[in-house]
Amino acid sequence: MAICRSKLRVTGTKFHAGLIMSARLASAMILVAVASLSTHAADSALSQLDQQCLACHSAKGLEMKLANGDVLSLQVQGAVFTKTVHNKIGCAVCHAATSFENHPPVKRKIAGSREYSLEMNRVCQSCHAPIFKLYESSIHAALFREGNSYAPVCTDCHSPHAVMAKASYDAASGAPCSKCHDPIFNAYAGSVHGKTGLNCSNCHRAHDVTPATAGDQLKNACLGCHQGALDSHRIWLPNAGRHFDAVSCPACHSPTAKRKVDLRLYDNVAQERVAEREGVPQFETRARLAGAKGAGLDAMALRSLLRGFNIEGTDNRTTLRGRLEVTTGVEAHQLTRSAQAIRDCAKCHQQGADPFQSVTVSIVGSDGRSVRYGAKPEVLNSIVSVDSVGGFYAIGGTRIKLLDWLLALAVLGGIGVPLGHMTVRWLFRRYAKKISGKEDS
Amino acid sequence: MPRIYVHPLPVRIWHWINALGFVAMIITGFQIRYIGLIDLMSFRTAVVLHDWIGFVLIGNFFIWLLFYLFSDKIRVYHPELSPMKHFRASFRQAMYYGYGIFKGEPNPHHVSVYEKFNSMQSMSYQVIMLLLVPLQFWTGVLLWDVKRFSGMIEVLGGVRVVDTAHVLIFIFFSGFIFIHVYLATLGHTRMAHIKAMITGYEEIEEEHGAGK
Repeated sequence: MAICRSKLRVTGTKFHAGLIMSARLASAMILVAVASLSTHAADSALSQLDQQCLACHSAKGLEMKLANGDVLSLQVQGAVFTKTVHNKIGCAVCHAATSFENHPPVKRKIAGSREYSLEMNRVCQSCHAPIFKLYESSIHAALFREGNSYAPVCTDCHSPHAVMAKASYDAASGAPCSKCHDPIFNAYAGSVHGKTGLNCSNCHRAHDVTPATAGDQLKNACLGCHQGALDSHRIWLPNAGRHFDAVSCPACHSPTAKRKVDLRLYDNVAQERVAEREGVPQFETRARLAGAKGAGLDAMALRSLLRGFNIEGTDNRTTLRGRLEVTTGVEAHQLTRSAQAIRDCAKCHQQGADPFQSVTVSIVGSDGRSVRYGAKPEVLNSIVSVDSVGGFYAIGGTRIKLLDWLLALAVLGGIGVPLGHMTVRWLFRRYAKKISGKEDS
Repeated sequence: MPRIYVHPLPVRIWHWINALGFVAMIITGFQIRYIGLIDLMSFRTAVVLHDWIGFVLIGNFFIWLLFYLFSDKIRVYHPELSPMKHFRASFRQAMYYGYGIFKGEPNPHHVSVYEKFNSMQSMSYQVIMLLLVPLQFWTGVLLWDVKRFSGMIEVLGGVRVVDTAHVLIFIFFSGFIFIHVYLATLGHTRMAHIKAMITGYEEIEEEHGAGK
């Protein structure tokens, strides 16, 4: 904050110098200031300098056409700004680069609204470095680094002149998250959590938003509130701990969702999911080379893909860990009351169960999101996969077909051999009596 | 007819608990694996029963193990150290079941207190009791709580590998149990061996006896 105030003083000096030198602009400003004096007299919390800025910038509809054709609104509602957390630092701290010498549009052109947001983003960092560090680790920042022009920066979520203390989220509309994630917010709004008024950030966090499929952050968010969940599941769910590891919460608690299996490449030495190497995308190329040709990996191709990942390092360093999850983000947000959650084991534990008809293999992409490649459902039922898909098995649902045949053979043999033996004994009964009779005598 | 005491009480208790337990494990095992095809009980009931009966069988196994470890009856399991002798005796026994029995030939094995098993039984029961049953118990316990034993399961290659081993032994027992019951009816009467496992006394029928 000391730095900010120092900047304020320096900028204030420049402002007065600019006032003298830029008479034309100043006179225009004074005219507007006089006209709106009565309005801003009420904004006693604002400094005189800020009131001078607002003299022009509170004008309704004030906007500017930028170099790339974007239209930038220049209007700042003084009454709102007065209530913001930034009212004490005033205009000049964030707009330090703006003075009468270079006040747009006369002296300085702004390339576009996105460019201007990015420029102002750097200003946010100067005071909010710890928060910005969190943002840097987020999926939003990762997308931004990848060049995604829709990736949100500070001002996309925090309305620049209306930053309230911890209240940038509007529970009713889901803004600002719903600006980009509207379908998900609509699904969430109808869910058990949406109805209680929880914010997106309660689960996803505000600044270090990670991809939903990365790590255990979301599961931990669930268990953070539902601390007794594991114990309450243990009462009725055999192997509850294993279910918690291998099944995502929405897979049961979003009962109408379509489910699928994601087989994740896992590094057993590093104890984390395998990630794409920076700048060298390898997964999709390898998956194609494994022989799938876009048709989805079969059991042999999957085995071959896994072998490819193990050639370079320790044998069996890379394995596959399966996870049962819902197909879309929308479905992941349609959580219901626990009484409506799936409790019927047969939904998964029988052959042909819906979740095992859709299978992907995945790796962590450079932005932290999963990069997936399709696999054929047979990979879950093939004897070839015993080793490669060793880390995922749902009794009944992903049972190996060859073992079914062996079991049928064993039971038929177990019944058939005694029956056959008995039949032969019965056919030879007279002959046997005759022989044994002779031996007796 | 002369009788000899070949099945001491602890062995009989172990045997019948084991017999009932294995039948229950096979039935619940079928139900767990083939829900939808078989609907004797719910999946969850089958799993819970399978788990509990499994632990009873593990405890029961130790009745058998401790009895034989601490009694001279362990001699019934002493292996024949001469492979040729063992092979000849096994071949003779196999020839009896596969050929001689149809002609009414006598069982080549003669039951005594320390030789109640014929050489085929001796070999197969050692494999079953010292390898397959412990392996089945071990894999079963690992599958009972996959999370608790995740480290060991990882070392073995994953839950699918452990389950496959468990199912392969299940397949063996599902077939074996029919053969075992049938062979038990091949005494000098159909019920002779079965009665012996209840009373402990095996009737000695010199000419027509048959091992189970």
